[in-house]
Amino acid sequence: MPNVSVWMLRLSLFYLITGASIGSLLLINKAVLISYKLWALLPVHIELLIFGWIIQFTLGTAYWILPRLLISKDRGSELLANFMLLSLNAGILLVILSELFYSLSALALPGRILETLAVILFAGLHWKRIASYANH
Amino acid sequence: MPLITRIFLKSGIVFFIASLVTGVALQIDSIALPPLLPLFWHMLMLGWITQIIMGVSMWMFPGRVREESFKNQRWAWIAYFSLNIGLWLRVLGEPAVNSSDALVWKVLLITSALLQLIAVISYALEIWPRVRGKKERVTKKNIQRSED
Repeated sequence: MPNVSVWMLRLSLFYLITGASIGSLLLINKAVLISYKLWALLPVHIELLIFGWIIQFTLGTAYWILPRLLISKDRGSELLANFMLLSLNAGILLVILSELFYSLSALALPGRILETLAVILFAGLHWKRIASYANH
Repeated sequence: MPLITRIFLKSGIVFFIASLVTGVALQIDSIALPPLLPLFWHMLMLGWITQIIMGVSMWMFPGRVREESFKNQRWAWIAYFSLNIGLWLRVLGEPAVNSSDALVWKVLLITSALLQLIAVISYALEIWPRVRGKKERVTKKNIQRSED
């Protein structure tokens, strides 16, 4: 498993546990009201589990498991793959900060831009790896 | 495909259907109760997508112990039962807690919350040691061989 995938998968597990902990707290808050303020964590719960867990896990697994490039026999530029990893996680963190602190709400836009950049990098890195050996 | 994966995938498909039936119900005014919306999303994202991810990764990721037993796969089985029991308790408890003050529904919902958390922690305990680079795997194999 390449290092980029190891990082993405381990980070996604970290986000899964953090997001699920917040989710559990919110569900308990539904049964026994602890504080109305806890509901402010709902967007963080969603961001952690959609982008941090599901998207990051699937991208990390795809980077590892899709066929290598037919000519160079590798997974493409490692630098760009590292940049994809950094961009996605910086984006997630910025969006979470913007949801947690009203004074930092302006960080949502750069956060979403970084997440988009990560997905564009993913597309660029994998486009030619989505291939059938039968055609060659 | 190991039993644990088959059971994860089939349970995932059941939740997939249940979530979409709930999605249909949400479009019918007379039965579109507000507590159905979080149920729809959780059955879809946790019951279906997360459950499929868990099942397939337990099968495909390196380092799987081929001899199937509860002892060898204990975290995977704990994850499976906690997730499914937890989510079904939520399906029962969430609509009820909105319409009744009875203690039983509150207990059900709190149990569901804890079980779902136990499920993801157990899954992480199962899969974390199997998420590793080639170098790490080779070193571990060499250590194992020298011990043998």
